[in-house]
Amino acid sequence: MNIKESTRRKLRGHAGEAELNLTAVMNVFLILVPFLLITASFVHIAVLELTLPSLDRQSAAVAPPKPESVVLNVLLIRQTGFELKSPDLKFSNLGITGQGYDWQGLAGQLNRIKTKYPDSEDIIISPEDDIKYDTIIKVMDRLREAGFPNISISG
Amino acid sequence: MIDIKRKSRHAKKSTFALKLTPLIDMMTILLVFLLKSYSAEGQIVTVTQDLRLPESTADTRPRVTSVVAVTSEWILLDGRPISRVRRVLDSDRLLIPELSQELTRLRAISQGIGDMSNQMAGFQGNIAIQGDREITFDLLKRIMLTCGRIGYNNMLLTVLQRN
Repeated sequence: MNIKESTRRKLRGHAGEAELNLTAVMNVFLILVPFLLITASFVHIAVLELTLPSLDRQSAAVAPPKPESVVLNVLLIRQTGFELKSPDLKFSNLGITGQGYDWQGLAGQLNRIKTKYPDSEDIIISPEDDIKYDTIIKVMDRLREAGFPNISISG
Repeated sequence: MIDIKRKSRHAKKSTFALKLTPLIDMMTILLVFLLKSYSAEGQIVTVTQDLRLPESTADTRPRVTSVVAVTSEWILLDGRPISRVRRVLDSDRLLIPELSQELTRLRAISQGIGDMSNQMAGFQGNIAIQGDREITFDLLKRIMLTCGRIGYNNMLLTVLQRN
């Protein structure tokens, strides 16, 4: 211990250590941290836009005109799984796996539509009555990820 | 590190140097974390109590609109209770009469504002729907139908953003 101390002293004596005055930095932090704490929002809220076909002339004028759909894709959401329909393509029904809905299978089938009709961006989802809102939002997320941003809901 | 100085100073007067380095470390981490969650726009959407919004990867910013909130018990329009969910689900008709009536009134008001001055937005057909994640599509369908019937065709489904 003594030896160490003495060598350290010696070394320091040579280096001529400069001491940083950190008080100013601390002051800045002390102001900034409470300020940011007050303004911080920990929950970010977003919206998913959904436009219904208009029955009303006035709001139809406001709504942007929809591009012509190339193909009609329909996704049925049931308690027992998904059922995807697209012209000229045959899909097997996707059941429930151990972790709930078969998202991977759905992504695969959507990919097949995308390769056959690269321009197609529209899809109609048709959930059953007792499907949860959470599931519908999840499906919409997956559809957007797969490249179908124009989602319509049909009851 | 400041052993020597402290010792020598200690001999003269009885002051002691504070070890600020760990404090600075902590503050820096805190600062970075808070800066990350900082948003300049502030929150324009307030979420109704006992409402658990679904999570989504959507990143469209919310707009200021009227809000239909659907909890597991009540349907609220701009914070005012409109109808009980159970009553709506028990009904055979898809249209919800109470909501329809209130929305018609709301539409008349915003149209009136739009007519009064060109600078006001007036009626644009936007409505935000804040739904609890547990509500069924049956209920959502009825609400969407009612909103659409009145002319509120652009629905903004409010969700929690997942990072």
